[in-house]
Amino acid sequence: MKKLIQFELRKIFAKRLTQIAITALLLLSAFLGFSTYQNMYAFDGISEEGTGRKAVAIDKAIAEKYAGILTDEKVQQMMTDFKPTQDLHGMNAAYLYRNAMQSALFHNFSDLDGNWNGLSVSDVFGDEEIKIGYTYGWLQTSQNMIRIFLVLSLVVAIMIAPVFSGEYGGLDNIILTSKYGRTKCTAAKIIGSILAALIVAAVVSAINLAYAFILYGSSGLDCSILFAPEGFAERHIPFNITFATLLKYQILLAFTGAVSVTGITLVLSALCKNQMAALVASAAIYLCPIMLPVTETNPLFRIIALLPLYHAQFVSLMSVDKISGNMLYALLAVPVAFMIMGIGIVISRRAFAKHQVT
Amino acid sequence: MELKTIELTKKFGSKIAVNHLNIALSNGVYGLLGANGAGKTTFMRMLCNIQTPTFGKIVLNGRNIDRLGERYCDLLGYLPQHFGYYPDFTALDLLLYVSALKGLSDKSAKKKSKELLEAVGLSAESKHKIKTFSGGMKQRLGIAQAMLNDPRILILDEPTAGLDPKERVRFRNLISAFAKDRIVILSTHIVSDVEFIAEEIIMMRSGEIVHFGKPQEITSEIDGQVWECIVPTACAEEYAATFNTSNLRNTDRGETILRIIADRSPMANAVRVQPNLEDLYLFYFKGDIEQ
Repeated sequence: MKKLIQFELRKIFAKRLTQIAITALLLLSAFLGFSTYQNMYAFDGISEEGTGRKAVAIDKAIAEKYAGILTDEKVQQMMTDFKPTQDLHGMNAAYLYRNAMQSALFHNFSDLDGNWNGLSVSDVFGDEEIKIGYTYGWLQTSQNMIRIFLVLSLVVAIMIAPVFSGEYGGLDNIILTSKYGRTKCTAAKIIGSILAALIVAAVVSAINLAYAFILYGSSGLDCSILFAPEGFAERHIPFNITFATLLKYQILLAFTGAVSVTGITLVLSALCKNQMAALVASAAIYLCPIMLPVTETNPLFRIIALLPLYHAQFVSLMSVDKISGNMLYALLAVPVAFMIMGIGIVISRRAFAKHQVT
Repeated sequence: MELKTIELTKKFGSKIAVNHLNIALSNGVYGLLGANGAGKTTFMRMLCNIQTPTFGKIVLNGRNIDRLGERYCDLLGYLPQHFGYYPDFTALDLLLYVSALKGLSDKSAKKKSKELLEAVGLSAESKHKIKTFSGGMKQRLGIAQAMLNDPRILILDEPTAGLDPKERVRFRNLISAFAKDRIVILSTHIVSDVEFIAEEIIMMRSGEIVHFGKPQEITSEIDGQVWECIVPTACAEEYAATFNTSNLRNTDRGETILRIIADRSPMANAVRVQPNLEDLYLFYFKGDIEQ
């Protein structure tokens, strides 16, 4: 069995299209990580201004001054420090981005002119204890990973589409007449597919996290996502979780997404005689929730959000609800992924083993 | 060991590929002859349990092969007519993979793979990728994979397609040496291949067995109907078109020797000769071949 799984993994990773897809995914990770870093901008409001590494240093220096639990005193201090001092050609200076901390502060505590809006920390966040610090780098990483995990799902479909359909070119004759062709070989194909998907998901996640860790360090991982700068979807998640928790969920959902896509693709691979048809059908099923006219306010969205597309685009799923205590609704993606995989295993095994050679 | 088909039938829509076929095969080499579309491949696929009969069943020693499952596959070796391969695998990789499918241990897989690569003349190319192989080399590799598990039932669909004469001789010797106490069924268009090694001939036409027996027995059916006659080479083609001709051979005297299958003497100088399998094949399938 071990030998058969090794052969299946080798077949998956030896395919030229798989190699190209994985390379493209890694290049996309590198490109997004690098370009995000290079495009970062920060201005301390006094004299220091810069992009890239300098921007990170400025943002970190500002965040360090206020790091810790967010208090009303800190809010007032920041309102003073970040008070708009210039009017740029008639534009409202309060809404000109200067640095990450200013952006987060103004979103919650400023009026249109950049003056304090009169709200206290408890008015905005209730009883929640909000820890603040430098979070911008990890936020950007999380946002990049949404794109990367969407592509990862398609890469998984590319990898898995030929697992069964690729055998229909003539080798199915030999496999199905072999002693273990209908049993262990089919199981090895399924196990190999799951392993391949998990390996690629793990490698891509590890690379992105390691890259972010090198560029931004570990600071901010214990801060609350509720005090995120303007413009990030993550701040719409209405729960006081840390960035570390956010990333854990995101990675977990990347894995559940990869497993779900593997399940769907295995079924189509076993049913389609042509690997390209299996790939296109799999990608279409994966992407079809985009077409559904169901908004996040619709009760049906709770179900639709559990489809694999929303595992990669994890913010919507994270925003749904809490199951109990600190457990988010998003955790239901795990049993859903197992269910899709289970269905995939049953149907693909049966379809391949019972398939009539022509 | 007895492999038996009972009323074996396969239909594809309204087309009947195999029609109520009843045959019992015991140890020996069986040559399956028939024109294209005769139902040979469908018959073999059903014997391999990769196509389900529309009607009827196949039993091995009285037990339905469906019920035997893995135990039946363990006895089986199969070379399909169209043999797929993984282009990036080497010949040795493929044999090791098929060995794993057949449940061979690592050690015996390596040993058996090397032996068979040697036997089919591919040991020098064992580490070459299959995508670099010629058609004949792929075919030899296919023969090797079919024999990996020392099958008690070996089914070979067009095994000599793409092989040159030397390779065909090697194949015939390999099968002859292997066939003892086994059922070997091979289909081919090349009558001489089965003539040399098959103990029994199965002739199929339109999904039915039209002849089943030892070569000398079944050729006796056309005893007295095969003639050799000498004609001027200039007229040879005309004669060949008129009569059911199984062979033309030019001599260095401007004459051609025609081998003709006919009920009566086709011409005055015709000499009656002993029929062979090729004559019988032509006798039965001339119409099919022309179609």
